[in-house]
Order: sequence, then C-alpha cells, then structure tokens
Amino acid sequence: MSALAIQTRSLSRVFPGGHGVRELDLEVPKACVYGFLGPNGAGKTTTIRLLLGLLRAQTGKIEVLGRPQRGMPLSGVGALVESPSLYPHLSGIDNLEVTRRLLGGVNRKRIAEVLARVDLARDGQRKVREYSLGMRQRLGLALALLARPRLLVLDEPGNGLDPAGIQDMRVLLRSLVQDDGLSVFVSSHLLSEVEQVADHIGVLHDGRLRYQGALAALRASLRSTLDIRCDAPERAATLLEQIGCRVNRGTPELLQVQTTTLPDDAINRHLVEHGIAVSQLHRPPVSLEQAFFELTGQPGRSA
Amino acid sequence: MSRVHALGRALWAEQLKLRGTLALWLSLIAPAVIVGLYVLQMAFQKPPKVMPDSEAAWMQLGQTCLALWSMLMLPLFITLEAALLGALEHGAQQWKHLLALPLPRGAHYLAKLVTLAALLLAAMLLLIVVLMPLGGWLLGQLGPLPLTGWPPVATWLDTGWRIYLCSFLIVALHTAIALHWRSFTVVVIVGMSATVMGTRIGQSADYGPWFPWTMPLQPLTEHPQIAIVLLTSLVGATVVSALALWAFARREVS
Repeated sequence: MSALAIQTRSLSRVFPGGHGVRELDLEVPKACVYGFLGPNGAGKTTTIRLLLGLLRAQTGKIEVLGRPQRGMPLSGVGALVESPSLYPHLSGIDNLEVTRRLLGGVNRKRIAEVLARVDLARDGQRKVREYSLGMRQRLGLALALLARPRLLVLDEPGNGLDPAGIQDMRVLLRSLVQDDGLSVFVSSHLLSEVEQVADHIGVLHDGRLRYQGALAALRASLRSTLDIRCDAPERAATLLEQIGCRVNRGTPELLQVQTTTLPDDAINRHLVEHGIAVSQLHRPPVSLEQAFFELTGQPGRSA
Repeated sequence: MSRVHALGRALWAEQLKLRGTLALWLSLIAPAVIVGLYVLQMAFQKPPKVMPDSEAAWMQLGQTCLALWSMLMLPLFITLEAALLGALEHGAQQWKHLLALPLPRGAHYLAKLVTLAALLLAAMLLLIVVLMPLGGWLLGQLGPLPLTGWPPVATWLDTGWRIYLCSFLIVALHTAIALHWRSFTVVVIVGMSATVMGTRIGQSADYGPWFPWTMPLQPLTEHPQIAIVLLTSLVGATVVSALALWAFARREVS
C-alpha cells in the first residue's frame, strides 16, 4: 500500500497564455497536513482541479490514495475548491442533505455530526443566504467531511474567516489528522495560515514546485547570514574567502558571511588568530516567511 | 453504484434543490396564466349571438387553452425552467462541487433533463386536469358560457400527451443549452427568439411540423403525419441528449 495520499509524476497542464502547472512531482504523505503554498496565480487551484478530476492533465500521472486519477472523481476524497458551492435558498442542513443524497450510503445522523464539527449546529436550520462568509466557509468544510473522507483537499479554506475562525480551522485540521487519521492537503497563499498547522509543505511558483518536504527540515535548513564587524573588513573578507566562505561586503564596516560549514566560534577564532579585532559577531534570526519569499521570488512583504 | 441508482440519487437531490424555487412555482403559474387569460377574455367579451351548447363550449375552452399553451407558453415555460435549473448550478459554481463527487457525470445531466420533463408534465397535468375544469366551472358560474356537466378531460388528455411528447426535442435542446452556457441571458434569448420565429414558421405547412418549437402545436392541427412528427421529436431529443451528454462528460471545470 502506498505511503502517499497523493503522488504526481511530471504533471503538467498549461493554458493558453502560459498559466498552469509544469512537471509537478507532488508527494503528499498520509496522515499529515500538507501545506501547498504559493502566491496568487502560481497554479495551486489548477493543481487541485487536476487532483479532483475537474481538469485533465496534458502530461503526467496522478495517484490519489493509491489509485490512478483518470479524470473522474474518486471516492474517499472530500474537497473544498475556492469558495464553497452552496444553494443559498436552502438551509445549511438541506445543503448537506443534497450532497448526502448524491453520495449515497451516508447516514442522515452524519449531518448533525459534521455541523457540530464545524461549529454550525445552532445555525443548521437557517437559510444559507443569511450566513456570513465565514459560516459559508465552515459549511463548505462540513460538505467536504460528510462522506468521512480519508483525504481532504482544501483550496484556501481560510478565505473569509476572521482570526478566531482561522485559529479554529487550524485546530480542526490538526484534530482531523491526529484523531481521525485523515490526510489533509491545504492550499494557501499565506504562509502564516499553514505554517502553524502543516507537517509538510510544497512551495509552488509560476507553475513549478520550488520546494517540497517536511516543514521541520526547511526550518532546520535555514541559516541566516553571519554579520561581522571588525577593524579590517577587506582583509577579513579575503581571509574568510580563503577558507571557503561566501562574503558580502554590505557596508564598509559590515561583512555578511552567507554560507559556511564552519561554526561561528571557529570563524571568530580564525579572524582573531590573524590579528583582526572582531567587535561584533551576530546571526539575525531568519523567518520562514523570508524563506518562502526567497523560494517564490516575491518581495519581502508580510504574509 | 449502478448508473440507474446514481440517476435515482441525482433526481432525489434535484427534488430537494427545487424546494421554494421559482422553477417549482412556475409549474403552477404558467398554466394558471393561460386559463386565467381565457376566463378573463370570456368574462369581459360580449356573449356570442348563437350560444354554443355545453359540450361545444367545453371543447372551445380546451382547444383555445391548449393552443395558447402549445404555441406560446410551453416553449417559453421550457426556456425559463431550463434557465432556472441551469442557474441553480451555475450561480454558486456548484459544478466544481458536484463533479468532484464520486457520481457518474451523466447522472447530473440526465437528472436535469428528467427534472425539466417532469416539471413540464406537472404543469400540463395541472392545466388539463385541474385548471381548465376549474376555469370552465368559474365561467359557468359567472354566466357568459353554458359550461355545465363534466369537462372532457379524457379528450384533452389524449391531445395533451401528444403535445407533451412533441415537446421532448425542445426540452432536450434547452437542457443542453442551459447546462452548457453559464449565462442566463443566452438561454432566454435562444428560447424567446425561437418562440417568436415559431409564430411565423408554425403557419407554414411545409416547415411548421419540423421546427422544434412548433412541433407541440401539431397535435392540435391534426397533422396527417403526426406520428412521424412525434417520432422526430423523440428521436431528435435522444440524439441531442446523447451528444450533449458526451460533451458534458468531457467538460472541464476551470
């Protein structure tokens, strides 16, 4: 049995004008939250539609829950694609009932369960046209959960949610993985939305996967530049380059050592042993946001 | 899940989606307008110089209401119903949810087709079995026509089911159009234009029987080739639906 909930190989779908996704090799482990990150227009929704069989791939293969995706929806998958698809003239319960009737084999009691799960138990009888954006989003999630899926595919589920709602969504997603053993594939253009909940991430930019792996591994791989202030920056830079460091001369007084296998204290010792007086050795913290923007080539703006 | 079972489920869902919609109310409103118009016309016009007997008065009511229905209201009814049924899914971008469910795509399409045919059947049964007798009874009470005794419902039903079968091609065409195009306007413009064209084409003995929007009028004209017209409607509806179903199954939701 495959250990992956989703696996794609060289998946491509390009639209006229060049938008789309190219050569995607997604590997989404089971029983974890996979954050699918990328700026708007990166190809996240296209990928999700390909996974759900709403679009056909030009090249490549898709396997969902170990079964090949051949342009038809697969059982065991619950999805919320962009804004929730709801009938505004019906109540929340009736919206769920429409999907329950279509699915077959789902007990009517399940409607009350999923409404309680998304905290809409008291509003189930109300017409959806009276719902706020956040309530609609939660009802969309309830629709996705109705058939007890093993894989949940969510496209920007935080849209329209207030900060408390986003927090509730995170808690819910974690509980779906930890308590129910679901695999969750969640896309977002906001790193902050998924970094607290995802175990794995994939970073998409311009239709290509720029990074994929465990979030912890990405965090561990992040090393900021080492800022050095000393009395002879030019000579220090030469000395550091001789031992394999890449050095940026930020300002006349400041050296920025970008990558090195040497620990910071060894660099300090090396400079001091060569008669250089080091006045400051500092490694400023690097945020995941910064890494995200570097991967996606976006300007350093707050996510 | 068998395809028949899937269609049953989709129809069961359609029934709930229709709750409280204009599409459902239209099945009552459209036939009521036809009968209401006839009642008003008879109530306010001068009484005829030669008063028909009750049987002739009932037949006149039936002929007038069914002609009005077949020529104008039926094609407009199908147009609007198809547009409303399509808008239920296009409006809130339901297709991306519906087509991601593990249900054969054809079930969604056929459920819409059957629902439209069922709404038309309900409207016609309401017209013939309830509203036309009620309208006649009202005219009998008001006095302009000697409408007494039992209305010839069986005769009307005999004509009515032919009208119904002759409208299958329009039902199929409008289902295909309404589910293919997101725009409500496209569906309505096609239906309105074809209905207006039908008022002219319907007068042609050569073309009237074969123009889809005037086919339902043929059972009232006692066309000699009515059986062929009826068959053309049914075969045409099957071909149109098969092609539309093929396209729908391959449709992408972007």
